[in-house]
Amino acid sequence: MKKIKDFFTSWEFFLVILLAVVCAVFYYVDASRVAAGISRRPVFYFANVVRSMRPYFLYSFMTLGMMLILAMGDIDISVGAIGTLSVVTLGVTYNNLAVLGGMNGAMALTLSLMACLAVGCICGALNGFLCTRFKELFSMIITLATQLFFRGFSYLIIGGETLTFKDPTFRSLSALNKLIDVAGIKVPVSLPVFLVFAVIFFVWLHMTGNGRKIFAIGTNRSATYYSGVQTDKIKFWCFVIAGLMSAVTGIFFVGNSSSSVKADIMDGYHMYAIAAAVLGGFSTDGGKGSVIGAAISLVIFGVVKFGLGTLFGFADSAVNLSVGVILILSVLVPNLIEDWQNARRVARRRAETAAANN
Amino acid sequence: MSKHKSIYSFLIEHRELPLLGVLALLLAIVNIRVPGYLANSWLNVLKNGSINMVMCCGMLCVLLVGSIDISTTAVLAFAGAVAGKLMGLGVIQNTLLMFVLGIAIGAAIGAVNGILMSYGRVIALIVTLGTSYIVRALIPMNWLLGMNKVNPTQLTQGFKDSLINHEFLGLPFLVWLAILVVLLTALFLNYTRTGRNLYAVGSNSEAAQMRGVHLNKIRVLAHTICGASAGLAGIMWLAFYAAIEKGSATGDEMFTIAACVLGGVSVTGGYGKITGVVIGALMVAFIDSAIPQMQIGNSMITEFIKGILLLFAILLNVILQRISAKQDLAGRNI
Repeated sequence: MKKIKDFFTSWEFFLVILLAVVCAVFYYVDASRVAAGISRRPVFYFANVVRSMRPYFLYSFMTLGMMLILAMGDIDISVGAIGTLSVVTLGVTYNNLAVLGGMNGAMALTLSLMACLAVGCICGALNGFLCTRFKELFSMIITLATQLFFRGFSYLIIGGETLTFKDPTFRSLSALNKLIDVAGIKVPVSLPVFLVFAVIFFVWLHMTGNGRKIFAIGTNRSATYYSGVQTDKIKFWCFVIAGLMSAVTGIFFVGNSSSSVKADIMDGYHMYAIAAAVLGGFSTDGGKGSVIGAAISLVIFGVVKFGLGTLFGFADSAVNLSVGVILILSVLVPNLIEDWQNARRVARRRAETAAANN
Repeated sequence: MSKHKSIYSFLIEHRELPLLGVLALLLAIVNIRVPGYLANSWLNVLKNGSINMVMCCGMLCVLLVGSIDISTTAVLAFAGAVAGKLMGLGVIQNTLLMFVLGIAIGAAIGAVNGILMSYGRVIALIVTLGTSYIVRALIPMNWLLGMNKVNPTQLTQGFKDSLINHEFLGLPFLVWLAILVVLLTALFLNYTRTGRNLYAVGSNSEAAQMRGVHLNKIRVLAHTICGASAGLAGIMWLAFYAAIEKGSATGDEMFTIAACVLGGVSVTGGYGKITGVVIGALMVAFIDSAIPQMQIGNSMITEFIKGILLLFAILLNVILQRISAKQDLAGRNI
């Protein structure tokens, strides 16, 4: 009985309801538009929504990395800059090896992809090193500084110019941006890849001891340390993985951006990653959240953006507006509910004591 | 224990002194490399740095109470855009009224930030991230006074001239405004009870509460000041560049925070001096103007240098603190 109650009061259940409400509203608006003759046929149906998720699943990998950091009670605002730096590395390495060096295309692409992932790991490792060695500083201020550093580094490598690749080998990266057929529905490639990653992260975070330790660090770092967990080591590797996930996001992003690379392509992406993770139930205090919640919140963002864009004709800025509102409300509302519950508990206890005294 | 303090704890007490040394060194190098640099461009540096300087004063207040505000540049763009649109519609023609309006808009947004952060217990980073999304998104909206950006043609000549073309003692009003804001902040932080309470809340909130300081009110006040300074900066931006749009100053809030941290302000709250912040802001402004003239690397190298400087400044602070703590222990034979 307790379990059922827990399920119905859990954050994931709330997110599912939110998703259902959003879908119902959009479906109703869509149907009424068709009935009123504004649009010729419905646009808000399952296959279409899934197909249109393509641009919104780009930063899903970054969200997975951000989850780890948030679960430990830290925050990493350099993930966008790490993604940019790894993409720039990818472009410059490929340019030097294949276009200027005359190396075989597939070989050069493999090497530069490896360089890209390695750069992501190294950047994450730098963050992790600084955050574990300089505990006096908030991870936010460290990653703020490294964000400037990484961004400056990508400008240093590539300057203000844009590298565009015309050759078919590099263009093959855009296969990552295509739609594939899964059971008759056209699905963006990033979606199944994301699901695989999400399952791996789910098993790791919620079913292994190592994953529980990450949440334990977020709940109480000192207690976890004194119970014999190597907190610094775990923290370091979580930052490395977050960097790696940013690099993966970067690779998908190059596939999306018509094979051109420049030094500010992923500025501000950390905001989307943080927003999705926070809506998914992770808190910057640490120790909370689940992979399922984060996945649902990514879907919610995708649906909201698609619906606002196609049904209401809102521009990008209105979508950002909804992201901001959702972000604040998703933290504020649980806090207010908690306050209300506490007040009710206090009132009940007071009534009980008063009754006992009489 | 020796009577004179160790050199390290002296440096900890006066974190702005090493920075001043670095600034002097930097200027010397640039002046040797580009002869006559300082004589030619000091005024430009002051002009370009004054907007950031105003925002730094507000940011200092927020950092002092142990909070952070990354919505400053969004507030800048929003306040500037709303005031500019009103001027374009002919509602406001008075220059002074523009400044009052900008400060009021900024203060209102800052107060909302502060209330959500203190009473709603939402982490400051999340709140200000959210508000920066929201206010930036509001700028191009059609129902908000039409126009989606502000052009020079929509502003009165008097307003465009107000800060740049009016001079006093050889400095344009833009710079004087920044100096005025710095002086007011210095007086407020050092000589008023409320100003000292900002330090108290930041360094030990429980002790401050025991002493009767209303924590949430002080936090809301700090955010309101920060918002007001960002709103003022928005009007200054509008008068200086004569245009503002949705994407104006995107990402510059990082340089505001960077200038404060360079100036020795502690991000955990409770420590920070206005002199340090002024030096930090000057430093960022000088790097912006000097590095491109030195012609090393490509034109984008300033970002890299600013990043490295910030990273080293915060790490140096921690290392100095550790050495000082160790020396204290050694001094007491522990």
